[in-house]
Amino acid sequence: MKYVNEAGWDRIVRVVLGIVLLYLGWTDVVTGDWGTFLKIIGFLPLLTGLVGFCPLYAVLKIRTHKTAA
Amino acid sequence: MTDLTLAERLATHPRSVIVNVWAPWCAPCRRMAPIVERLAGEYDGHIDVWKVNADEQPDEVRRLRVLGIPTMVAFRGGQEVTRKVGARSEADLCLLFETALSGQAPAHRGIALSDRVLRLAAGTALVLLGLTSGPSLLLLTVGGVVLFTAIADRCPVWQAVRVRLEAWVKRRGSASLEV
Repeated sequence: MKYVNEAGWDRIVRVVLGIVLLYLGWTDVVTGDWGTFLKIIGFLPLLTGLVGFCPLYAVLKIRTHKTAA
Repeated sequence: MTDLTLAERLATHPRSVIVNVWAPWCAPCRRMAPIVERLAGEYDGHIDVWKVNADEQPDEVRRLRVLGIPTMVAFRGGQEVTRKVGARSEADLCLLFETALSGQAPAHRGIALSDRVLRLAAGTALVLLGLTSGPSLLLLTVGGVVLFTAIADRCPVWQAVRVRLEAWVKRRGSASLEV
């Protein structure tokens, strides 16, 4: 699909990173302000990984997904 | 219909054909009919749409190996290219017409396998995380949605609901324009 700008490995890394951050935040491994921060920020890499589109990449004109036009 | 069977007519027909197997009592067939007629008009001269009434022509339905209606079968050069079973959205029907025209089945249907695996893994992880952390309704909901997106394109119930939703949105859109 045309909007995808992340390669497969990039998406996997983001999803794993998102899950790890959410795990640290939601299971109270990290507490306090940092815990709350992780609870929210974890959704970002997870969502961008699942969709395959990173808005920051689009702004900076970066593509790790080379094959799509 | 003439005395020739559908297969004989298809074999000698110069253009691509979409055989639309329907029945008067079939509600999804009635809902899809305006879309099919409009697309038939757009592709006029390139693709012919032949309607087969399942009640009146059960032999043809059997020869086409149709197990449920509505079913739309695309032929090119007398050979079946692809078929769509059940209620379908306008986008799906457009794809069917394009496939009949090109004679080549689409590269893949729905989401890619890698996408599906990624969504299933992430959804499962979120659900497990949701169960172990509280449980957290937010994580369970997000996990459920992610899991659903992994299988939505293969879910016949969702396909039927989606067609109705699209029709409802279109009706709302046209009604607001009239006001």
